[in-house]
Amino acid sequence: MPDIVTAEPDAGRSQPRRPAGRSAKYRRLRASLAPLPWIGPAIALIALVVIWPVVVMVQTSFQNVSALGITLGSAGLRNYSAVLDNPNLPGILVRTVIWVAAVVGITLFISLGLAQLYNQRFPGRRLTRWAIIAPWAASVLMTALIFRWMLDADHGVVNVFLHDLGIVSSFNSNEADWLGRPDSALAWMIAVAVFVSLPFTTYVLLAGLQTIPAELYEAARVDGASPWQTYRRITLPLLRPAFLIAAVINLMNVFNSFPIIWEMTNGGPGYETSTSTIFMYDLKNTFVGQAAAMSIINFAIVVVIVAAFVRLNRRSLQEAR
Amino acid sequence: MKSRRLYAAAAFGIAALLAVSACSSSGTSGSGSSGGSVTLHLFGADYSTGAGSTSTTTFWNAVATAFHRQHHNITVDVSTVVWTQFPDKVKTLIQNRQYPDILEGNPAPPYAAEGLIYPTSQILSQSVISNLVPKFLNDTDYNGTPYGIPWTTSTRAMCYNKAIFSHAGIASPPTTWAQLKSDAAAVKAKTGEIGFGLPLGPEEAQAESLLWFLGNGGGYLDSSGSYVINSPQNIYTMNWLKSFAASGDTEPGAGTANRTDLWTEFAQGKMGMVNCSPAIVPIIAGNNGSGMTTSDLGVVTIPGRNGPLTKTLGVHDDIVAFKAGGHAAQIKEFLDFAYQDQWQLQFNNLYDLLPATASADQKFAQQHPVFTSYMTNIANSVNYPTKSNWTTVENQIKQTMGQAVTGNPSSVLGGIQQTASTSS
Repeated sequence: MPDIVTAEPDAGRSQPRRPAGRSAKYRRLRASLAPLPWIGPAIALIALVVIWPVVVMVQTSFQNVSALGITLGSAGLRNYSAVLDNPNLPGILVRTVIWVAAVVGITLFISLGLAQLYNQRFPGRRLTRWAIIAPWAASVLMTALIFRWMLDADHGVVNVFLHDLGIVSSFNSNEADWLGRPDSALAWMIAVAVFVSLPFTTYVLLAGLQTIPAELYEAARVDGASPWQTYRRITLPLLRPAFLIAAVINLMNVFNSFPIIWEMTNGGPGYETSTSTIFMYDLKNTFVGQAAAMSIINFAIVVVIVAAFVRLNRRSLQEAR
Repeated sequence: MKSRRLYAAAAFGIAALLAVSACSSSGTSGSGSSGGSVTLHLFGADYSTGAGSTSTTTFWNAVATAFHRQHHNITVDVSTVVWTQFPDKVKTLIQNRQYPDILEGNPAPPYAAEGLIYPTSQILSQSVISNLVPKFLNDTDYNGTPYGIPWTTSTRAMCYNKAIFSHAGIASPPTTWAQLKSDAAAVKAKTGEIGFGLPLGPEEAQAESLLWFLGNGGGYLDSSGSYVINSPQNIYTMNWLKSFAASGDTEPGAGTANRTDLWTEFAQGKMGMVNCSPAIVPIIAGNNGSGMTTSDLGVVTIPGRNGPLTKTLGVHDDIVAFKAGGHAAQIKEFLDFAYQDQWQLQFNNLYDLLPATASADQKFAQQHPVFTSYMTNIANSVNYPTKSNWTTVENQIKQTMGQAVTGNPSSVLGGIQQTASTSS
């Protein structure tokens, strides 16, 4: 950048060639504006659907908006202090960490195995590779809704199955009401989130596996490495870039995940199964300004998590490029 | 440098766009009033209960069409939204200053406090106003002036399934909490069905809790009109409900259960008792033979701690009219038309609710003797608080009251009281 900047004044310094310089400048301006018709619509779209809402959200977070949506004037920093003083917030943040860590961790672990499996040749591989796309292709809301029905305390298929096995002794009991108890509800929702995150993660890892040259495995075999040694010393290190990309994208996705929890428990009872995203949405019912403030806090959390993650793994991510 | 210029160009483009969109979003919903013909925008709640039930848009359109035939220069444009999404949708409209001319479903005082709506006297003729059930009209007061018009009403009672009761060997419906608890246990033990449906989830926790608070001499307000949500009576009530829910004789997960789901289960014959309104009747009738029938339905006054409630909860949904469009005269003509008995009866017959005018109430009672027990309750009903921060408090109750039966009742009620006394 600096050397380009110093090149600029030279053009205008030689007096006699001034008119030429001006037209050169004009030509350069035209040249630099030339891409605008092509990228203009994209910029306009981004401005309209991304930047403008962000501007309004930041504005709203400093406003006092009544529960009926009437703007009552400026709130200063009161929305932020009210959110941070909310007695439910610490529990929600802890739960968000558990939610994100559990879903991303379990997803990556299972996906490693699945990707390894799909990288082998076996009859029906094509079919199973297609099959794993199903949870990805189906609407997440629909998946969550189906799981909610499957867990119904009176006639859900999961309860019928567990009842037949003798694990659940009676229907319509607290024992059968998986989504009514915060801890079991969270566990089930983590399972659903893992289920819908698997396809994408598996495919990213599978793509990573396919970039590892076969010669390396051959060399390892010649050197007499055991399968476990081969996996640890060759597969895992070379898979690292793909693994990290899958991890970063899942971190953001799962943190912002809304439909699963909203559909299955609404974040209740109270806020006992809410993550910070659900909490933000709930606040919107009553305190629009606080909800905007919470959105900004959420955004900051995501940026910090991802920045920290990228910084820790900078070298590996550079290799990925 | 090249890239810097590009940024400058892009920034200019974005700024221009923002300016354009800022302009477009600040306009109010103008009601085309050119040439003496006026379009009124009516936004209302949809009361239909699923397949086979008439959409409320259809009802309002029928009124609007009949009205337009008599008033060629006034067109009424109708839209309705299901109850679950109604509060959100209205909030968005108001926040973006897209005020409808007529809004049906929300209480008046908060809008009146902001000076957004006409007082009742400007949008309804005196003869129609004096025909309204006075108790509900008074609820729309702000600083002593009514600002809303009750459109439809209902009161709450307790429904029980006679077939399940006789199967469980219960001779007469309960009148006290202790009887209710033992009857629920009997239903659960002898029939395997749910004893009592207790919907403390987010849909309508504010109604269910109040019905129980009233049974112990509690409520949301004291006699001077201040919030007393964590009164000793209310804490006792919630502790009692917590142990009741823990007994296993209610549906599981009372803290998250919603009224609509429980009413459906009751109508399917899977529940002994549930607090209900007349709106449960069409759900039962819609069974078409499977589940319970309307002849299995018993309706009694809701039991209290030591005896049946002397006052029950009366709910009314109101109409308000926004000033933004400036069509008070046209709104008045339309509302005078819509408040005729004919439409009151048609609406409340469609959804099994109760009329809001005295004359329609009389005719309705003659048509439906089965509702008489509900209607006698109206004069004696307790309504939700009409303070201007009630919406905030109500939302807090919806979200957190369920925690009272899973966690600590006293701290949950304390948290709501905190919101009630500090929010404006």
